Amino acid sequence: MTSPNITSTDSMRHVVIPVAAVLAVLGIALSSSGYVVTLIGFAAIYGVFCTGLNFFMGYTGQASFGQNAFAALGGYGSAILTANYYWDPVLALLVSMVLSGVIAAAVGYPTLRLRGHYLAMATFALGLITYEISIEWNSLTQGYMGLSGIPPLGIGKYELVSEKHQLVVLTLVMLVGVWVSVRLRDSRFGRALRAIAGSEAAANALGINVARYKLAAFVVAAVYASVAGSLFAHFVGFISPEVFGASMVILSFTMLYLGGVGTTWGPIIGALIVSLLPEVLRGLKEMQDVVYSVVLIAILIFAPRGLSGLSVLFPRKQTGQTKQAEKNA
Amino acid sequence: MIDLTQILQSLVNGVGVGLIYGLVGIGFCVIYNASGIVNFAQGVFVMLGGMVCHTLLTRLGVPLVVAAILSVPVVAGIGMIIEICVVRPMWNRGAALFAIILATIATQIMIERITILTLGDQPRTFGEFTAGGPLKIANIAISYQLFWILGCGALMVLLLFLFFTKTKAGRALRACSQNREAAALLGIPVHHMLLLSFALSAGLGAVAGILVTPTQYTAFNVGTPFGVNGFIAAIIGGFGSAGGALAGGVLLGVAQAAAIVVFGAGFKNVAALSMLLVVLLMFPQGIFSAFKSGGKGH
Amino acid sequence: MTVLSVKDVTVRFGGLVANDAISFDVSEGMLAAVIGPNGAGKTTLFNVISGAMAPTSGTVRFNGEVITGLPQYEVSQKGLVRTYQLVQLFKDLSVRANIMTGFHRVTKGGVLAALLRPRWFKEQEARIAARTEELLDFVGLRAVADMEADKLPYGQQRLLEVARALAAEPRLLLLDEPAAGLNMQETAALADVIQRVNSQGVAVVLVEHDMQLVMQIAQKIVVIDFGRKIAEGDPAQIKAHPEVIAAYLGGTEGLDD
Repeated sequence: MTSPNITSTDSMRHVVIPVAAVLAVLGIALSSSGYVVTLIGFAAIYGVFCTGLNFFMGYTGQASFGQNAFAALGGYGSAILTANYYWDPVLALLVSMVLSGVIAAAVGYPTLRLRGHYLAMATFALGLITYEISIEWNSLTQGYMGLSGIPPLGIGKYELVSEKHQLVVLTLVMLVGVWVSVRLRDSRFGRALRAIAGSEAAANALGINVARYKLAAFVVAAVYASVAGSLFAHFVGFISPEVFGASMVILSFTMLYLGGVGTTWGPIIGALIVSLLPEVLRGLKEMQDVVYSVVLIAILIFAPRGLSGLSVLFPRKQTGQTKQAEKNA
Repeated sequence: MIDLTQILQSLVNGVGVGLIYGLVGIGFCVIYNASGIVNFAQGVFVMLGGMVCHTLLTRLGVPLVVAAILSVPVVAGIGMIIEICVVRPMWNRGAALFAIILATIATQIMIERITILTLGDQPRTFGEFTAGGPLKIANIAISYQLFWILGCGALMVLLLFLFFTKTKAGRALRACSQNREAAALLGIPVHHMLLLSFALSAGLGAVAGILVTPTQYTAFNVGTPFGVNGFIAAIIGGFGSAGGALAGGVLLGVAQAAAIVVFGAGFKNVAALSMLLVVLLMFPQGIFSAFKSGGKGH
Repeated sequence: MTVLSVKDVTVRFGGLVANDAISFDVSEGMLAAVIGPNGAGKTTLFNVISGAMAPTSGTVRFNGEVITGLPQYEVSQKGLVRTYQLVQLFKDLSVRANIMTGFHRVTKGGVLAALLRPRWFKEQEARIAARTEELLDFVGLRAVADMEADKLPYGQQRLLEVARALAAEPRLLLLDEPAAGLNMQETAALADVIQRVNSQGVAVVLVEHDMQLVMQIAQKIVVIDFGRKIAEGDPAQIKAHPEVIAAYLGGTEGLDD
């Protein structure tokens, strides 16, 4: 909100406490063993992905089931450029980002004109197409085998060899991602998006080019997804088509819904909780996807506003988006 | 060089698989007409049909005919469970379209994973319904299974037609598809109709899955391609009529078979999905604009 | 100078003629009204003027420029801003946030500006904030500025929609049945706001059902019936017009209720 009356309690609630919580989690992770570090790392990566998804769904009120396509683009882009062509990871990440944005614009332009089930199916198809291509384009992607030997993040000669060092960077990237999304939301651009979520008719009447702004939001979400894909590739050092398959869609929506669609920190909280589930459910390792699906269905049925529906946990300043998202969702 | 035999052969194959798409497409329409919901888990019924039939066949050792006939009600039952446990609570709450779609996608993933855990991830198949064959007409092989698919497809359409026109439940279901509020006012239990539509739709999917398995294979992940292709068939057919979906399926099957001859099999699914996008983008309002009520909102 | 010029606008839906060669002009700063019995074609005409619908034939000019066939957002960008018969508020946003959204047309900046926040961006945001407070006062919604829009009583929702449209600094404000569903007090408050808007030099066209409101505030009235324009003039002329009397006495509404 750019309203002039931001009080210190507001900034406490919206900035200081969440950031402190994130740093606390980081601290705990850094003093823990390898497995926890990995899980928290995943949480940060998915936090980036879900923040982008939230931008498109929560703020703009649109639906896409195919954001995994752009994560795959980012992941494969980074993997191929760094492992095969020895590019600098940061450069590869940026190039993949731009590529994803351009492709999102090209694909989104016709697709976002669709509505309802058609839009849902078309976006879902984007994810499926990318998945199929990543399997079939053997010479580039090694098919089912996946790509390995992807170097960790780093600049020039500095490689973040240790997982803990990488985790710090991932957390920072995630925080920057949240910061960017808030900055975009609280601006003329963000207001136009929220207008579209609220009423396309009214947005039109106020001179907002609805199609263009939807596309812009789609591109923003795709760029987030791409960054998440790149980070994943470097963090794990290996990617395969399955990483960015349909279960990624379910996983990310579980996180987003659990945390609360349309809230600033909800996606991050959701990403953290869901990423830690495997640790909690150690015995259910093979059941993971089943559990995620069940959790998602249960949330959709019983608590469509996610944890943010519990107003005790969340300040209610952004109620607007929350309920809007629920309605559009 | 592609010769005539090859083309005709692929046409024959295309018709077979296209009819299967058509059956799946009809399944989409049955639920959509009753509820305005597009069940994204439709393909899972095809997978279950094949898997359940194979399981009955191998683990219980019952004859194929018995296994096939038993599988259909089992899968229809699973369809009803999905309606009761997933769709109905959301439907009652007036949940948004998008949330219901997401829930059906989650259901599909859940069922696929449970299938891996219980039955394994290996592809499997069983023999054609009638041994022998294929029938050879001037170098073109027509498997006997194709006749089964043709016959059963025709039978399904006939049964559906009779059901929708001759039975009380069928007529009630049709009334729902025309106007749910009015149907409710007339005392038609709309909820039961939604349940019925899921049972029917799942049963149809199962029949499709059982019929197609001998011609290729079934595995936990065959649901999505069949679902997507069934959806395209339904769109081509105008998302309302059974005959239209069947015709749409055949058209799609033949087009894909032709594409495989021309481009090779590797990118078969990519081609199908691209075709989906093309169809969607060229007919955003539905080919016969029968999709209008579903086209609103997000 | 003529702000809005409607010329021979005809709209056919199949065999039905919703608008039959309707023409009228609205000059700068004028408060005009289009009235007619239910089903006379008012809403169709309104949609054509606002760019939501293209006419079968005929043209609409705004500031001398043909706007027929332009997408609605482009028409709005030119300064012809409409409201909706069924209020289209951003329900879950606060009253204040609703108004802030209205400034889209008269502000600039996209993704880059939002990220980098140069000096002009901050100044612009400050201007928006200040102007929002003025508009809250203008329509009398300051007390409920932080409330969610859909928690407002209906009358205030209408006022909010007008305030949001005013944020876009329209040259012509099109109001679609603004008094529909309002009680007497609410209608009076609305009439007051409309008149004050007009007195600031903004031309207003309202398509309205409420005769009393129209007779009280409009300077020029266009009457349509069965898709045709049957009369045009000031309130006194309209009251005395035989065809108008026939159309209305034939219906259920009187002219002097």
